[in-house]
Amino acid sequence: MEQKFNTSLVANFGPAKMLPDLKFAEMEPGWDCGGGTYKVTKEEVDKFSKLMGDANKGDVTIPIGMIYIFGLRICWDRKVFLDGAIRAGDKISFFKPAKIGDTITTKLSIADKKEVKKEKDGKVRINKFLYVDMNATNQSGEKIVDIQMSFLLPATMQ
Amino acid sequence: MEDAMSKIDFASVQVGDTLSSKSLAVSQQLINEYADICGDYNSIHVDVEGMKSNTMFGGSTIAHGTINVEPVLQALCDIEGRLWPAEGSKIDLQFRAPVKPGFTIVSNLVVKEKKTEGGKNILVCDMKIQNKDGGDCAMGSTVIVCP
Repeated sequence: MEQKFNTSLVANFGPAKMLPDLKFAEMEPGWDCGGGTYKVTKEEVDKFSKLMGDANKGDVTIPIGMIYIFGLRICWDRKVFLDGAIRAGDKISFFKPAKIGDTITTKLSIADKKEVKKEKDGKVRINKFLYVDMNATNQSGEKIVDIQMSFLLPATMQ
Repeated sequence: MEDAMSKIDFASVQVGDTLSSKSLAVSQQLINEYADICGDYNSIHVDVEGMKSNTMFGGSTIAHGTINVEPVLQALCDIEGRLWPAEGSKIDLQFRAPVKPGFTIVSNLVVKEKKTEGGKNILVCDMKIQNKDGGDCAMGSTVIVCP
């Protein structure tokens, strides 16, 4: 499909070394995955409200579902979504509302990792989970939302 | 400052009550337009032809996981009577099954605990996001801060 995402809304920052460069043993809590900024425009808010049927048209506060819009492209650009990894869940904490005209800064870092032993049909498997914090603040440094994403990593992950 | 127009009356809510829900009809067009807004063009979401030969999701694309959460996000605002959930509001969810085009997903919140802490009226709820035609797509819990 033709890609219509407005790339000028997003800018990224962070270390040259990214998650795919790490082995599981090297994925330590606090590791900086980088981040980026997202400019909230009326055009994108209007598109989102219409798409999701959100009664909030963004005149005061942007539609709530846009909490993910701040960070998804940044996650891709910073290669946080590893090949073969499955999204397992999210923990979301809400703070100040975001508004049209805000520049949201999203920072990504490793929160935790876990190995879970699973037995099925007499076979033992170790599931590897990775937890990544996605913390969003506005241009005044006020917290907007914290999202901790969890991923089930592919069995081939070393 | 936002208006606080809660649809629920904290005093009258009981443990076991089902709170108001929101739904979303998911189509390939919605997924494509969502990709245009968020910039996530992973082929599992947008490559309809390519996914036909992929057995992982039965030959279908799947919605972005973040689309799955949309009904709960809207329901949370609706229940709290705010455009943005109050500080202290939380969602904790685990994805259970992918959402595919053609699904209509619905939020389901059932009050598990009712308490007042630090001057805040709080409801802790069991939460599910379900396909209207059957099956849980995500489940977990929410903390709702009532006005």
